[in-house]
Amino acid sequence: MKLSRRAMIKDGLLVVSAGMVMPAIFSRGVASANVQALEGSHSAQVASDRTLIVVQMAGGNDGLNTVIPFADPLYHQMRPTLGLADAQVVHLDTRLGLHPNLAPLKQIWDAGHLAIVEGVGYPSQSLSHFQAMDIWQTLDLSGNGREGWLGKLVSGLVDQDGHPFKALDIGVQTAQALSSINAQVPTVSSVPAYSVYRDPADRDGGNARMQALMNLYNSYPKTAPYAALLDTTALNAEEGSRQLHQTDAQYQPAVTYPTGPFAAGLKVLAEAIVQGLGLRVGYVTLGGFDTHANQQQTHGALMAMLANGLSAFYTDLVKHGKADNVVVMTWSEFGRRVEENGSLGTDHGTAAPMFVLGNAVSKGIFGEPSSLSNLDSNGNLKYTVDFRSVYATVLDRWMGASSKDVLGGSFGSQNFLLQP
Amino acid sequence: MSIDPDMQDDPTQPRPRPASQPAVPSSPLPPPRRAAKLQMSRREFIGVSAIGLAGLGAAAGGAGLDQWWRHGGLGNLFHGPLASSMQTGHLLRRAGFGANPDDLTTYRSLGFNGAVERLLNYQQTSDDDMEHRLNALNLDLNRPQEQVRWWLLRMAWTQRPLLEKMTLFWHGVLTSSFRKVGGRPGFMRMIIQNQFLRSHAFDTFDNILLGITADPAMLFYLDLAKSTRTAPNENYARELMELFSLGLGHYTQQDVTQAAAALTGWHLRGLTSVYLPQTHNNLTKVFLGHTGNLNYKDVINILTNHPAAPWFLTRKLFTYFTYENPSTDDLKPLVDAYVQSGHNMGTVMRTLLLSPQFSSAKAYQARIKSPVEFAVGAYRALNIHDDGSTLPSITTLMGQTVFDPPSVAGWPGDKVSSLWLNSGTWMTRLNYIDAILVRGLARGGSPRPFDLQGIVNAQNLNSPESFVDYFVSFLLDGHIDSARRTQLLDYFTSRDTSAPGAHITLTNGQSYPLSRVRGALYLIMASPEYQLN
Repeated sequence: MKLSRRAMIKDGLLVVSAGMVMPAIFSRGVASANVQALEGSHSAQVASDRTLIVVQMAGGNDGLNTVIPFADPLYHQMRPTLGLADAQVVHLDTRLGLHPNLAPLKQIWDAGHLAIVEGVGYPSQSLSHFQAMDIWQTLDLSGNGREGWLGKLVSGLVDQDGHPFKALDIGVQTAQALSSINAQVPTVSSVPAYSVYRDPADRDGGNARMQALMNLYNSYPKTAPYAALLDTTALNAEEGSRQLHQTDAQYQPAVTYPTGPFAAGLKVLAEAIVQGLGLRVGYVTLGGFDTHANQQQTHGALMAMLANGLSAFYTDLVKHGKADNVVVMTWSEFGRRVEENGSLGTDHGTAAPMFVLGNAVSKGIFGEPSSLSNLDSNGNLKYTVDFRSVYATVLDRWMGASSKDVLGGSFGSQNFLLQP
Repeated sequence: MSIDPDMQDDPTQPRPRPASQPAVPSSPLPPPRRAAKLQMSRREFIGVSAIGLAGLGAAAGGAGLDQWWRHGGLGNLFHGPLASSMQTGHLLRRAGFGANPDDLTTYRSLGFNGAVERLLNYQQTSDDDMEHRLNALNLDLNRPQEQVRWWLLRMAWTQRPLLEKMTLFWHGVLTSSFRKVGGRPGFMRMIIQNQFLRSHAFDTFDNILLGITADPAMLFYLDLAKSTRTAPNENYARELMELFSLGLGHYTQQDVTQAAAALTGWHLRGLTSVYLPQTHNNLTKVFLGHTGNLNYKDVINILTNHPAAPWFLTRKLFTYFTYENPSTDDLKPLVDAYVQSGHNMGTVMRTLLLSPQFSSAKAYQARIKSPVEFAVGAYRALNIHDDGSTLPSITTLMGQTVFDPPSVAGWPGDKVSSLWLNSGTWMTRLNYIDAILVRGLARGGSPRPFDLQGIVNAQNLNSPESFVDYFVSFLLDGHIDSARRTQLLDYFTSRDTSAPGAHITLTNGQSYPLSRVRGALYLIMASPEYQLN
């Protein structure tokens, strides 16, 4: 089902006239949609068909074995066993190349739709997974932030339209980047699991029971513990599960996705985009990058999952005519130590590359690879690009948002997207 | 391509989930009709105490609560001490996995302090019944899924609830995962670690850290087994300080590398570990201000005596067992207990459970139930005795798989419990309740629905009111405000206009559609209140 803005408003008005139970967050949404419809507003539509997909590579991805400085003798010197030989590397230019299992991304590169931002980090990088993840997601460099940057971005959007799928997180736990004080992001582990089952003894398909349950949530005292969270969770689920299942029944992927949860998650995101659920921000995580020991096999498998998944996702969007509307950005909390350790692995490091892909993206290497000859006192890379400048670029040039408001400051930009 | 569990050696963050396995054949709901707006004002929230269950003694404390609701409303509920009728339920939720009516009777008869002592002195309570029942299941503990089931059923059936809860607490702090424990030949290491944490749950922090450092699963999980004299691996050294004992800000990267050198010497020997002094790095190390040829014992000794350690540890305990964001004043008595008792965790836990904070209204329902608390709690409260074979996959979908934490930092929800709840995990909770009531948790075979008629007969439930009050008495401490109780009763007595189906007959002879009776219990367990711990 394609949910046009108009259909939604119509639905909203019908719902209002029926005098249904409607928690505040939703009634505000309907009201605002109503106002927009009356004013024939176009301003709210700016960039509204654009989607950002964020891919978290959790555990600290080894950037040096992802985008490989194969021409630098220091790389081979410091990675005597883990270093990839020139012949294996998928060359991008005369100094950098991709991990062999990233070959599917090379096709997107050749088509002109892949950017690599090199040397990304921030001042005084943390070697703690958890502090580093907090910083990347909340932008609080002390690591004590609570609200995620994407949460800030989408909380306004959700309120405006009362639409449950402005953002969608794949997984069982909502990513910190999407956490927000005043909105909750649908978090979907799989489409079949995203539904409320009915009691077969219920001959009305569970309607009366669900209605009674929503009444219990709606009448839960607003000052009682976790009232807002419980209320919005229930509404979000009740509303969203119906939409997602209607969508799922009609969606035909144009490619065969690889097996595994990462690709399955990307498929759900593609589905939400192609079927017009109004998705603005999608989030999916690939974990397993903390390769302290026996790195080669693990990292190779993860590179393949990443590239095969993204390649299927991109091709699916192309075939559905949606690749112009979607930008994908990857990140990891840190790269890894330049010199390999004694366990055939690498310890926690600092700066690393990010991938950005989509038809709107300008191909190229942005930023500057960190020097292997000028390391910090721990033997780690010095960053050359602040990650917040990458976020700012995506916010300002793609999402039509104010990066100053979302990020709380100005951090420059990168040119992988054109100025609007 | 797929990755097998041992290869995805990932102490940080998500990984392949098992294919989602609905406990009940999936049948998404069609759009429900919208409910009429409830006519209810804030003033109408009046607590009612459940009656109808002899021996639970809910009435006395309930009256106290009624006074709160009437005078000053909800605002006052979150200050001051907890009504005594709610105290035992609260204690058993936090220091265990909730209560069935028998649990409540047993613990209430002891008084609060007596109940705390029974929980702490767990050796005095036999758990043979649980062991027999588990043995009868013939679980293969070399298989991760069966390990999960084994532990969840322990929690559900144990008569030593605090021991299991404390073991779960330690598992969330000093954590390892079957994802990275050496694959099939190493899976049993998880059970060995679990037995270690259980047998030392109330030991000194020193012994616990010494044991976990030498623990075979941990040696593999955080790569200490890979660490060598000449090339120390930093992984365990860092997490030992950051996540197990001090927290960020109390050590430098230099301390990490020095501790890594000091910790060398440990090796795996199949399912056991061995310390070989000749493989220990004998150079002089400088670690947190101490200099010498330090070894793992020195490192642990320095850490457990570090001034930051008791604050770090008691903050975790207080957050887990009492409420989030404790103040310095909240923690000080626990820190003192740690120091004065020689780092004894039993003493610290007694101090915690007997503290006014633990029994304060502020602590009541102050956390969202974790998936394990929710799933085990419901299973235990309803006295379910099936084989629980779908428990592991259901708790996974709710966001928690024991023996498989999302990262070396354990479960984020243990620190901030609101993180347990989102639209997806909420629906899984509902579907779990549905599964328990409609078909039971055994895989395959014919459905074994929850025996409502049996309960009605045994408890002499002779009216919709007595039915609702009976279940509220142990599922919600006997407290639900009157307007919400009315909603449950309205549902119970609402007409089912469809063709006649199964019925439940109350002991007054009156029959009600199964859908409505079962639905009322479902609503209690799907309610906002029941999501809270």
